[in-house]
Amino acid sequence: MAKKSRKVLQQRAVVAMILVFVVGFGAGIFGLVRAGLVKGEYYKQKAESQQLSDTTVSAQRGTIYDRNMNVIAQSADVWKVYINPSKITKDEVRQNVAKVLSDILELEYETVYEKCGKSKYNYVLIKSQVEYDKKTEVSQAIKDNKGFSQIIGIESDVKRYYPYSNFASTVIGFTGTDDVGRSGLEYFYDDVLTGTPGRVVTAKNARQINMSSSYESYYEALQGENLVLTIDQVIQYYLDSALEQAVVDFDATYGYGIVMDVETGAILAMSTKLDYDCNNPYTVTNQSVLEKIEELETDEEKNNALINARYSQWRNRTVSDGYEPGSVFKCVTAAAGIEEGVVTPSEMFNCRGYYKVKDRMYHCSHREGHGVEDFTTSLANSCNPIYIEVAQRLGSKTFFKYFEAFGFTEKTGIDLPAEYSPVANVSYYTADKLGAVELASTSFGQTFQVSPIQVITAINAIANGGKLVQPYIVAASLDENGNKTKETTTTIKRQVVSEDTAEQVSYMMEETVRRGTAKNAYVPGYRVAGKTGTSEKLPDRIYYIGSFCGFAPANDPKISVLIAIDEPKSGSYYGGTVAAPVAAEVISQTMAYLNVEPQYTDAELASLDVKTPKVIGMTTSAAKTDLEAKGFTVKVVGSGTNVVSQNPASDQVIPKNGVVVIYTDEKVVTTKVKVPNLLGMTVAEANRVAISSGINIKISGYTSGSTNTSYRQSITEGTEVSAGSIVTVSFKSSVDVAD
Amino acid sequence: MAKNGQMLKKKRRRNLLFGEGGIDVWFVGIVLTLLTVGLIMLFSSSYTYCYYNFNGNSLFYFKRQLFFGIVGVIVMFAVSKINYQYFKMAAVPVLVVSFVLLVVVLFVSPPPGFEQFHRWITIPGIGTFQPSEISKFAIILFLAWDIDKNYRGINSNELSSAAFAEGFNNRPGKIKIYTKTVCLVEYAIIILLTCALIYKENHVSGTLLVLALGVMMLWLAGFNQKAFIAVAIIGVLAVALVVIKPDILPSHAQPRITAWLDKDYDPLGVRWQTNNALYAIGSGGFFGVGLGNSKQKQLYVSEPQNDFIFSIVCEELGFIGAFIIIVLFILLVWRGFVIGLHSKDKFGALLAMGIVLQVGLQAALNIGVVTDVLPNTGISLPFFSYGGTSLLMLLGEMGIVLSISRYSKIKKV
Repeated sequence: MAKKSRKVLQQRAVVAMILVFVVGFGAGIFGLVRAGLVKGEYYKQKAESQQLSDTTVSAQRGTIYDRNMNVIAQSADVWKVYINPSKITKDEVRQNVAKVLSDILELEYETVYEKCGKSKYNYVLIKSQVEYDKKTEVSQAIKDNKGFSQIIGIESDVKRYYPYSNFASTVIGFTGTDDVGRSGLEYFYDDVLTGTPGRVVTAKNARQINMSSSYESYYEALQGENLVLTIDQVIQYYLDSALEQAVVDFDATYGYGIVMDVETGAILAMSTKLDYDCNNPYTVTNQSVLEKIEELETDEEKNNALINARYSQWRNRTVSDGYEPGSVFKCVTAAAGIEEGVVTPSEMFNCRGYYKVKDRMYHCSHREGHGVEDFTTSLANSCNPIYIEVAQRLGSKTFFKYFEAFGFTEKTGIDLPAEYSPVANVSYYTADKLGAVELASTSFGQTFQVSPIQVITAINAIANGGKLVQPYIVAASLDENGNKTKETTTTIKRQVVSEDTAEQVSYMMEETVRRGTAKNAYVPGYRVAGKTGTSEKLPDRIYYIGSFCGFAPANDPKISVLIAIDEPKSGSYYGGTVAAPVAAEVISQTMAYLNVEPQYTDAELASLDVKTPKVIGMTTSAAKTDLEAKGFTVKVVGSGTNVVSQNPASDQVIPKNGVVVIYTDEKVVTTKVKVPNLLGMTVAEANRVAISSGINIKISGYTSGSTNTSYRQSITEGTEVSAGSIVTVSFKSSVDVAD
Repeated sequence: MAKNGQMLKKKRRRNLLFGEGGIDVWFVGIVLTLLTVGLIMLFSSSYTYCYYNFNGNSLFYFKRQLFFGIVGVIVMFAVSKINYQYFKMAAVPVLVVSFVLLVVVLFVSPPPGFEQFHRWITIPGIGTFQPSEISKFAIILFLAWDIDKNYRGINSNELSSAAFAEGFNNRPGKIKIYTKTVCLVEYAIIILLTCALIYKENHVSGTLLVLALGVMMLWLAGFNQKAFIAVAIIGVLAVALVVIKPDILPSHAQPRITAWLDKDYDPLGVRWQTNNALYAIGSGGFFGVGLGNSKQKQLYVSEPQNDFIFSIVCEELGFIGAFIIIVLFILLVWRGFVIGLHSKDKFGALLAMGIVLQVGLQAALNIGVVTDVLPNTGISLPFFSYGGTSLLMLLGEMGIVLSISRYSKIKKV
């Protein structure tokens, strides 16, 4: 090559190279620096946001169990379905997404379609609390439709289930959609029940399939702790149903009740009726309230009324409400008097029907006066003047010492929210404010306010040999593996009165149930001790609260029970008529459930029901002879020689002269009879009517003495039943129960 | 002197490959390095894609590419043994074949999913190949051959001796036809005709590459500098026009320009690939996430084994790794130019420089596309992108450069 031409080529080549290097690769390097280094972090985040799926592992809220580990409240995994509308670019896709989601989740197409149009947003919730099968359908739809994985998302959510709906609902409470406790135990123990949510950060490829697990980081969720309550599901059920029935029977506004373990202070049952369904706390259950709300004119009024109705039904009135305990308080005055030695149970008094303090006249419930009676009988008669007398003997200072000792000036400290807080000289008088007049009214339970839980705690001290224990409702908390993290032990606050005094008051209370105003709380074999109370409701003093507080068995108390019927409007409002029968129901069922062996007196034994023998398979004549020998009335159906069936079946409890129908021929249809009216009768009358109609009665409630009348029958009049069927009839006394 | 004879024998044998008359070790080294890195990166980037698209056969692309790579290296060394002067004979036939194929490809039905693009011809049993790949080589070879013949005329005011020109030149008058004019027109026709046919394929990037390559070859040929200034001005104006009015482009190319200008345009469609390439580059940072650890290759970067393989390189090897690879391409171009400039004749010089320019330009364009400096055009990265026939051809071309290096007066290592 010629030198010159080589030089030209060389120059041209150098220019070409520089051009390629500087312009070509220079641009590439510029791009690399820009994308990799300058804007690197930004792109890296973008990459991660599409690769990483950061899933919150919800820490499941702890389960609430009753004391026998039955589930009361439990959280379950549900899901939230959301969309990313910014990824929807075509209307065709928007329609498709709206169609699929509205179909699966049973939503309005229009609503979903509208949400799909919010293209400025990355997250729009479509539905929360989606259950497993629906969630699976959504996942399948995401797989089946191209592009859906970029648009539709699913994340975990939780839902709280209360299997027993309105079981102890005012005690258990409920959670909000944010899984935070809003009321009751759910609120009080929110910190314990709530866990710490965890996270799973996984890398996903563009088809939303997880990359290998080496790309995964896992931050474990700390599950919430479980609570084991002292509540016993069975006893709670007894209390709930008895109160629910009582509210209906007595046309009451509310009924409250507490069942407490005497020795430990553990709450076995606690109920406020009417309450609500924990699963749907915002639904107002009280129909009459709803009707009243409907009648309101403006929406605002309706709304406010609705809110008030909700707060009202959520309220645990056994703990949060104050009331005048009325004559139930006389037990406290009696205990103080006996402990201080100013009175004995056998001391004789003369009730003239009134007691004058300064210029104020206090009447006894029995206007004519009870005449001469001992101190025990004065409790049975709920005789106001005697208690004014005893309080006067004690003096304000000493009386107040006991008022304080029994816990009426302080919160009980039960582990429930919004406990009623007594305020000195507002809700009660302190010693220096207790003048003769105030002392007199306080002595029989008026002119001060306490909560039901305070009352039962005080009465429980009498049952518990004078030891005042702190009531509690959570027995233990468990971690997710079931290990106890905390266990509640009984707190004995103090010895309020001596064991001896407690025993004497206990005897007086037992007499009150046996022959006094609380006779409707009588349960054969279980030696119920108790006291009724009736008080006017403040501020209007139009309505009453009739209550009963007591315990059983008096010789070895196991449970104490408080029943209060708020605003009974169906006639009698005395604690003895409205609350005591409910207490008897709860006590008799609970005692049997707790396997407390009944100890009958001779009198009780005489009127006791008997169990039917088994006569199936015997010859007709042998069966008839056997039954008649045992005192049963026998009806034979058919003419066969062998017994093929009997009603009642064997081992059923019926009155001693009850009817047993024996069937001798299979071809004969079961004899049907109509249930007669069994209300407003004595035990004997009811039994006679029943037997003549060919049915049996099971007697419930107060039956000793001659003053009882039936007030409820389990099968209504006119119902057709097979001959020999058992109808439960409830009795109570309406005589001498006023206090 | 048995010892001496043995040494001579040894030296002779060595010379066959590396000594005087041997091939350029630098160039072989750069090519084999690029090929090796390219194969490793193809293995890494195609792994997940193949896993999902070939029923878990993650090595599907790698195995095929490795096969073509090995065959290609054999072909490269075989070609390097051929005296490059023989390629002169191929210049015209290859150009003719190139034109024929460019016409034929327009009548071949494209593979499914690419109905708009008439770029591929399928050879049963081997796979597909792009006639435009052949055209690039054909242009280089033809221009190198023809410029070599007319080099003196192009670089002087020699009158053309062509039959039609002689008539003008022999007549008295002002109109004279110079050799350089005839050549320029001839080359322009050949280049522009090739470009037009490739453009008909709906292959804008291929068109631009051939055009750039052709202009570069003419520049090296020594045509008047003023012409190139004019070409540059026309080029800039054309780019400006396209940016302002993209609708003059074929319908498939318009959104790509829009997507290049508007970074928020159609993120799930046209910009998906580019965005994910940028995410990959960003994820890599300076040092990279490590070989094999790319997450963006998990189906985010679509077809990560193809045109966008460089983004996975950036993610796994980082800026530093990517930079080294760019340096390797620069070294390849540089060494090719050194070989060419030391060549005995203009044919060897232009052929060597043309071939490495083609590789360099294509690599630069590809990197520009991946880093979003240029609009997304379908252009592959030599030695890296998947494609058996094109790798085979590339290595064959490298063999030609090596053949030239045997005869160049280059200082041997």
